[in-house]
Amino acid sequence: MNQTRKIAQQLYSALIFTALLTVSQLVQSQDGKALFNQKCASCHAIDKQLVGPALKGVEDRWDDKKMIYEWVRNSASVIKKGYPRAVAVYAEYNKVQMTAFPELKDQDIDAILGYINTGGAKAAVAGTSTASEDAAGTESESDSNFLYGILTLILAVIALILLQVNSNLRKIADETEGFKTAEPIPFYRNKAYIAILVIILFLVGGFYTFQGAQGLGRSKNYQPEQPIFYSHTVHAGINQVNCLYCHGGAQESKHANIPSVNICMNCHMGINEYAKGPKLYRADGSSVDGTAEIQKIYKYAGWDPAAKKYTSKGKAIEWVRIHNLPDHVYFNHSQHVNAGKQQCQTCHGEIQKMDEVFQFTDLSMGWCVNCHRETKVQFTENKFYSIYEKFHEDLKNKKMDSVTVEKIGGTECQKCHY
Amino acid sequence: MKRLTFVFCGLTTLLLAVVGCSDVKRTRGKVYMPDMSDSRAYETYSTNPVFADGRTSQGPVAGTVKRGDEYPVHIEMDAMGDTANYYASNQLPNPFTSLTADQLKETERLYLINCAICHGAKLDGNGPLWKDGEGPFPAKPAALVGDSKYESMSDGQMFYSVTYGKNLMGSYASQLNAKQRWMVISYIKIKQGKLKPAGNADTTVVASAVIK
Repeated sequence: MNQTRKIAQQLYSALIFTALLTVSQLVQSQDGKALFNQKCASCHAIDKQLVGPALKGVEDRWDDKKMIYEWVRNSASVIKKGYPRAVAVYAEYNKVQMTAFPELKDQDIDAILGYINTGGAKAAVAGTSTASEDAAGTESESDSNFLYGILTLILAVIALILLQVNSNLRKIADETEGFKTAEPIPFYRNKAYIAILVIILFLVGGFYTFQGAQGLGRSKNYQPEQPIFYSHTVHAGINQVNCLYCHGGAQESKHANIPSVNICMNCHMGINEYAKGPKLYRADGSSVDGTAEIQKIYKYAGWDPAAKKYTSKGKAIEWVRIHNLPDHVYFNHSQHVNAGKQQCQTCHGEIQKMDEVFQFTDLSMGWCVNCHRETKVQFTENKFYSIYEKFHEDLKNKKMDSVTVEKIGGTECQKCHY
Repeated sequence: MKRLTFVFCGLTTLLLAVVGCSDVKRTRGKVYMPDMSDSRAYETYSTNPVFADGRTSQGPVAGTVKRGDEYPVHIEMDAMGDTANYYASNQLPNPFTSLTADQLKETERLYLINCAICHGAKLDGNGPLWKDGEGPFPAKPAALVGDSKYESMSDGQMFYSVTYGKNLMGSYASQLNAKQRWMVISYIKIKQGKLKPAGNADTTVVASAVIK
């Protein structure tokens, strides 16, 4: 009896001790998180190799903890001493020297190590759970459309059968009543039917012929498959990358340039997996492995993600051009973006919501001219139009309330065709 | 019986047409008189048999300076693991330390487009790609304001980093020309309080521009 009580007491105290320990560790890792983000996170992650190695399990790799302290405060001295692990890491990471943090005390480094030991697991769990969340929502809509179609078909068939039944019943009724009815004309020889059919065919055929002829050379909704599945939703939408970050040419030249692989690598040197965004689908519904698409960039760039350097000569990514004006039309992006202060979305649609980009407008001349007739030029705070003195005066004297593009020659033939 | 098969055939073709139809348009469509539409001259992004690399779009000839551009800075990129040039760039003076109000506004726009995505609109290193670790970027971007390392960093060293890249930051030489890069660095120094904006010393104007 006495013994069991003793054991219970011991157990109890042990429990309290471990609880206290975990609490103290939590407090420590709170601190450690702040320190880690402030000092280490620019070059290190817990589970991922960045400029420096992933820090998870660093204490197991370094058998002498004192060496870790010294390394953090001044890595060069540890290498000079010839501590084998230090020399190996230095060589493995292309002899990039770690920034020295002489201001970090032993307790600070302990706190950071504590955060690495506890925080790593948490981060990994958070990363995986977000990716698998959706998938259910997208399919229901197309499903119901299909169901409605089948329902309509079935109803149409039933209506046809009922009509047949009706006419047969009438025939039988007439026969029993003793009326002599004329031999019924089959529907395909009924002149009224034929006339209606011809008119419908003419209208429908005419509509499609006209539309087809008008659509020649226009590629509205053109959505080609690109060599890399680049989602504008992820980049311009979720991650708020400005359009001009990649397509900077739009503000200073005729072309909105296609970004070079170098610009992709600005971010993708660091971002080598797609883990945090929503699931990606191609326009035809097949799913996309974002991480595999990022790996494709590395192949084009000649970048070795393991060695963290360019190992071979890059290759151009042959993106498929979507928006293409005929050669007899002159169009200049900088004029619209820089001088005209137009948003990209005016002509390209809600790019930030397109996974795969499609041609939003038909880019027809009617569309151009219509916009030039309706759009008011931004005359104030815009030095480009200071040359139009008379308009400025009229605006000031309230003789006119706005100047459209048409008024400054935006619908002259020679502006775009010469 | 014959009529039934007729109806059945019609229905199946209709069903197949509905099911088989996809509204994803993977082809361009037809062009009437393509010789009026396709360029006979080589276009910017077309392939080109004349040049060795097969591209029409060529970089400037080595050793030339574009009209209106800054003279090049003769500091090369460091070899991997070397930092000699990185420290040598400390000596580079910033030729654009005084920004007029207009220039400041333009520079802020450039900063917000090219830098704020990582370094944050408030220069606190918390741009949309990091978002306190929630964003996709695995490393914490430098806090340009509030971190003594970057507050005391020389303009020249910043210029080196923006031009050639440093650690996980890539080169921005293709997105910002030399003058723009120097101006952005001046903008950062103004935000750090190391530099007074010329033209308008009124800091409230600068602050309101940030919020916008």
